[in-house]
Amino acid sequence: MIELTSYALYAGAIGLLLIGIAGVLLCHHIFRVVLALGIAEAGANLLLVLTGFRWDGTAPIIENGIQGHMVDPVPQALVLTSIVIGVGVQALALALAVRLRQAYGTLDLREIRVRMERDLDAQAGVAPPASQEEPAGGRPLPPPVARPLIASREARP
Amino acid sequence: MITLTVALPLLAAFLLPLAGPLRYALGPAVPLAMAWLALQAWAPAQAEPFVIAIGGFRPPLGIAFYVDTIAVLLNLAVAACVLLLWPWGTGADAARKQSLTLLLAGASAGLALSGDLFNVYVFYELVAVASYGLAAGRGTGAGYAAAFRYLVVSSLGSLLALIGITLIYFRAGTLNLAHLAELAPAALHDPLGLSAFLLLLVGLGVKAEMFPVNAWVPEVYAAAESRVSALLAGLVSKLAVLVLVRLLVLVFPLDEARLALLVLGTLGIVTGELAAWRARDLTRMLAFSSIGQLGIVLVAFAIPGEAGLAAGLAVAVHHLIAKPALFLLAERWGGSIEALAGAGLRSKLGGALFVLFALSLVGVPPLPGFWAKFLTLSGLAAQSGAAWWLAAAAILLTTVVEASYLFRVVGRLYAPDDEGRAAAQGRLQLAGAGVLGACLIAAAAGAVPLGEALKHMAAQAGDRPAYIERVLRPHPEVAQ
Repeated sequence: MIELTSYALYAGAIGLLLIGIAGVLLCHHIFRVVLALGIAEAGANLLLVLTGFRWDGTAPIIENGIQGHMVDPVPQALVLTSIVIGVGVQALALALAVRLRQAYGTLDLREIRVRMERDLDAQAGVAPPASQEEPAGGRPLPPPVARPLIASREARP
Repeated sequence: MITLTVALPLLAAFLLPLAGPLRYALGPAVPLAMAWLALQAWAPAQAEPFVIAIGGFRPPLGIAFYVDTIAVLLNLAVAACVLLLWPWGTGADAARKQSLTLLLAGASAGLALSGDLFNVYVFYELVAVASYGLAAGRGTGAGYAAAFRYLVVSSLGSLLALIGITLIYFRAGTLNLAHLAELAPAALHDPLGLSAFLLLLVGLGVKAEMFPVNAWVPEVYAAAESRVSALLAGLVSKLAVLVLVRLLVLVFPLDEARLALLVLGTLGIVTGELAAWRARDLTRMLAFSSIGQLGIVLVAFAIPGEAGLAAGLAVAVHHLIAKPALFLLAERWGGSIEALAGAGLRSKLGGALFVLFALSLVGVPPLPGFWAKFLTLSGLAAQSGAAWWLAAAAILLTTVVEASYLFRVVGRLYAPDDEGRAAAQGRLQLAGAGVLGACLIAAAAGAVPLGEALKHMAAQAGDRPAYIERVLRPHPEVAQ
């Protein structure tokens, strides 16, 4: 029974990791990316706790001399640290997301990327690379089209 | 005493916002104190590396700082870089940046010293958080976007590194590097251990601008202030590389691990230099070229034995001096290359310094850049195998590419043009670049003693049995 639970926990940890990493790589909405990072971190932390865990162990605190087995404290300390770091990084990510929303008015990472590259090019004083929509040189441009930069699910908070 | 180089800046970073008008003195005093402490530790570490057991608990149970010449050298570099690139200013904005810079300094010093994977992880995360804040420091939309994308890549990297650490702990049951080194042949030299190394390589490679995980580099360096780019490219990347080297030397001295480093480094050289050749503005050109240079560092460290360590150190230290100086010069010139016409004629010293550093990066003989590349190439030539020769060929070919794009900039700098738009250099930036230029010339003049010192450092860092001996079985009079 204990063995089965262990396997389930390991499978759960690896599953959380995979879900999280897939989420970070595939999602375009900032909030989903931040959440996916959180999920992946939870998976990694669970995996780390499992490496030092024993079912017959007690908490690693010595009270009346050492009695029986104890759970390995090093992974637990590491997990505590990593949880704290994770909270800090997520808060920072959300703060950046708020600023991004204020600056660009969107939370769609693709659109943010396009606008960031345009801004960087403008700041450096180089023309953006020629594209089909904006051909280089003095050729006449097609009439402006009234549609968003990228037609996609509109990113809303 | 040297532990204070970690504690002092971390403490000052939190006290600085509360210090009121005192902070104008307190801020710059901290890196000065760090430099002094590091200099104190230089002579003893050179004679014999020593171990500091924090709180008096002996490793492997306690946490240890391992102080050898490389760690002290990097501590000195941290202090010098932070002082040269200090965010002078008086507003609340400047105060925040000063705090973050001090946080970065303390965490970097810790990363250089720690002999424990747990501490490496914590300090690495501290460096990361401080650098996100600094990357967003300009307050523009592009800055926030670049910082966010950097944050996502870097967090994913730390996550992979954490999984690597988990795997190592699962196998060996310890995180102390010396203890790991002792246990590694039995516990870690198998596919699982190797995959742990690869996870750590990719995870720490984010900061080291390694090939597949370096997409953040041009964006962040273009969007952040040049000061911050100089810190990240010059200092933080070297510290990540140092951790990788410690792992490679102590825990994973395997051919497969070296091959992974070699291949990723070679790909980094080729992609970085070609992208730099295509770049149309100075800042991003320097960013891409820094990816290429870091590739050479990784390739050099992949060479087995002391020759590789000496070559890698030479390339890394040279890049540590040259790249911050170039970013300082790009602070005012960081526009498109076309707009630079005549800037070197108007700012004579700035132009001369740019030419000096460009020559050294390409590797023109009397300058240190030549010796660094020469050591790397001769190390590569001594190995046998297609991958090594391919790496050597990549370095030689990209040197031509490097020369082509750097001298395109030099050509623009001295193009006759009366109404050029590039601003003249600021005095602060020029002074910083000047100091680094003086270092470079001094290094060129003293190449022979410097080479001896590097060899000594490499011998110290490469001595695996001595490392284990010093940490785990210290002689009572050496331990302190």
